[in-house]
Amino acid sequence: MKTVEIVERIEGEAKLNCSWDNNVISDARIDFLNFRGFEFILEGKAPLDALVYTPRICGICGQAHLKATVDALENIYENINEKLEVTPKAKLLREIGLNIEIIDSHIKWFYMFILPDIIKLKQNDLGIYQPLKGSRWLGASKTASETIKSLAILGGQWPHTSYMIPGGVVTDPTLLDLSSMMNYIDTAVMFFEKSVAGVSFDKYLDFDSRDDLNILSGDMKYFTNLAFENSFQKIGTSHNRFIALGESSLFKTGKIRQRAINKLDLSKVREFTEQTFTIEDRANPKKHTWSKAVCYDNNFYETGPLARAMIGNKPFIKELHKSFKDSVFTRVMARMDELAHLLDNTKSLIKQVDISEESYIKPKINLKDIDSAKATSVVEACRGSLYHDIEIEKGKIKKYDVITPTVWNLGPSHKEQKGIAQKAIIGSKSLDIAKIVLRSFDVCSVCTTH
Amino acid sequence: MIDSAEMVKKVFTQKSGRVETNKGDEYYNELFDSAKERLSSLRAQEPLKDIDLMDVIDSEGVNRRDFMKWVSATTATLMLPPMFAPLVAEATELMNRVPVIWIELQDCAGNSEALLRSAAPTVDDLLFDVLSLEFHEALQAAAGHDADRQLEEAVHHFKGDYLLFVEGAIPMANEGRYGTIGASGETFHDHLQRMAKDSAAVVAVGTCATFGGVPAAAPNPTGAVGVMDLVKGKPIINIPACPANPANMVGVVLHYVLTGQVPELDSLLRPKFAFGYRIHDNCERRAHFDAGEFVEEWGDIGAENNWCLYKVGCKGPMTFNNCSIVRYNEGTNWPVGVGRGCIGCSEPDFWDKYAYERPMANANIKAPTGGVEKTVDEFGLGLLTATTVGIGVHAIGSAIAGKKSDEGEE
Repeated sequence: MKTVEIVERIEGEAKLNCSWDNNVISDARIDFLNFRGFEFILEGKAPLDALVYTPRICGICGQAHLKATVDALENIYENINEKLEVTPKAKLLREIGLNIEIIDSHIKWFYMFILPDIIKLKQNDLGIYQPLKGSRWLGASKTASETIKSLAILGGQWPHTSYMIPGGVVTDPTLLDLSSMMNYIDTAVMFFEKSVAGVSFDKYLDFDSRDDLNILSGDMKYFTNLAFENSFQKIGTSHNRFIALGESSLFKTGKIRQRAINKLDLSKVREFTEQTFTIEDRANPKKHTWSKAVCYDNNFYETGPLARAMIGNKPFIKELHKSFKDSVFTRVMARMDELAHLLDNTKSLIKQVDISEESYIKPKINLKDIDSAKATSVVEACRGSLYHDIEIEKGKIKKYDVITPTVWNLGPSHKEQKGIAQKAIIGSKSLDIAKIVLRSFDVCSVCTTH
Repeated sequence: MIDSAEMVKKVFTQKSGRVETNKGDEYYNELFDSAKERLSSLRAQEPLKDIDLMDVIDSEGVNRRDFMKWVSATTATLMLPPMFAPLVAEATELMNRVPVIWIELQDCAGNSEALLRSAAPTVDDLLFDVLSLEFHEALQAAAGHDADRQLEEAVHHFKGDYLLFVEGAIPMANEGRYGTIGASGETFHDHLQRMAKDSAAVVAVGTCATFGGVPAAAPNPTGAVGVMDLVKGKPIINIPACPANPANMVGVVLHYVLTGQVPELDSLLRPKFAFGYRIHDNCERRAHFDAGEFVEEWGDIGAENNWCLYKVGCKGPMTFNNCSIVRYNEGTNWPVGVGRGCIGCSEPDFWDKYAYERPMANANIKAPTGGVEKTVDEFGLGLLTATTVGIGVHAIGSAIAGKKSDEGEE
């Protein structure tokens, strides 16, 4: 038997095609059917224009795209031996901006995208978690809105800010701005303590064993109970391979196959298009999605908070992974755990900003005067590793390639290997379960196809 | 052919009195009476959601004061005199009589994100409790086939009454194959037409839905267009910008609740209350423009002192929007506030015409309002196309707007 299900509430839409065998999903295919063509649009544009285009790839992770673009443009300078000087202040303000965006996204994802579906497995009434009216849903929405204001202070607005430029940032916050930002972050810390984890922030940050699950009392506890009732600690396992391309003060670059390796060779990142529509051809029956597939050294790797926790040695999540592998349960917990660490990290980054430093140091050469150069950049976004690859010729963009986290996790199969989410879904006993497995990756369809 | 230097000069020196902010007592008294009547007939209707805003506000205590502050700000945003404040408050309360269906097409969900961060006494008390959002695929509980069903039911149940909010452009190339929706694989175009057919009015939110936005940037690989290029025979309200300001989305709903009509629109179908003036007219850095004090490059003394961003590419002088007043994220900030300059995102084709680093030509223009006048050098060519749009709006805005308002009547 074959079925088709539509998956929404994922930032865009996906189509889930399942084959059934004895009431178990024996094969799954994920289609992304919306395409805008950013890579075509960027061709021939002035390099600095990319700073306003790429953030618009996604209304949720625009900061990540902005940072990836600015890093790629700065790497262009480095590759022509004109490395730019960027002050610690500018670097901090960029990292803070990106962190805040991930914080906002994680809060929304848990309350708006994951919890309602899981609660629905058991009961009709979502109670305080009811979208648009439940008190906890509204509390989460409000917390996210307040938190993101600290990014608006830096970037001018959210979504879609463009305050980063090669050489630094245009923004120059005052001490008052920085303390306002701190206050907004504290709103989220309080929400985490009261509602998300139900334990004090410091206590949570010390979590390092499976037994700590018993100390939780907030919505993470509620989620844990529901997850165990539905066996989510056993469902949704995939290749159990992890990758994080980017690094920051909180995240480490690396991959885990059998063992952890902290050095990556970006030339081993490759995209495949056997199953991907092209702009000219959609009649080919082999092709079914606008998403490409991406591999590192010809293997699929999961990216995102679970991968970052594994590679970055976050004790609590590593312990959960020992017991529950790369299951839905571990994946969801990893994202919420990352929320706590991001909040902690962001507060410390804000404290480090020295407002007396320059925000921006002008590059000696204008990108428009560069005859030929190439560069790549990698950034850790909400949903995982984001990769930009740019080529400039005669001062214009010749080629711009974007590989988003959802391509790593939700892309189609390649050769004999199933994609990460595809493999995780196989074995599900119902469509509702399959959709939750899919959601556990925090899918973004608009990013995937861009 | 108008001399281009003259056109540039016009953009910078014209008075901004394009919108009549005082239409006289007679007009307002009449509007007041008809709005009152409209609200009492709405009150007689069954609410779509059983929520009493005033109860919510009273139970929260301190929020009533915030609410009244918000009401007077919103009244001003809608360009109504203060006597309308009680009616705006009542209209807010009665927003639950007007169903809203929100669909997403070729988008990035940025406008939905902006809506979630809407300026209100508190997001939870006001907007989501009272606005009757009957369908929004990202925000509602239902998903998959259930969501499909919910949408069909909403369209059927509120036939002729709902406001259709559209986010995202519509890809028209190759029979629309670049965007399909739902299990049936309906194209975005078919979906839009089907949803628009039974709506009371269509509200295009964000620059993608209004003018095609980023997907329509050259070479427009998917043949993306905006809602107004396709939907005929329905009142259309455009709320461009990237993202659109949620204050303007709420403003449009409130105006509709209050008057039963679409607001007065300009030639690009944008509500005049929001797009009636240039960013430049109300910019906090305007005094520096007039004094000839410019940021010459980022990080210089001008940047440190928040001088005018015109020379680093600010498109405020040719962009119509109220973000210099309303700002973003509940009034927290806006791009010019952090020294980046406006990119002109609420203007048609701004991607191709107004891009980040488009220089301004050598048009010697004196600042319009006296003070220490200096010459703005190094103006740009990109300005010329932009100016055409700006002046076009001025010239024919009011004539068309009158027509559109008529179409919007119930």
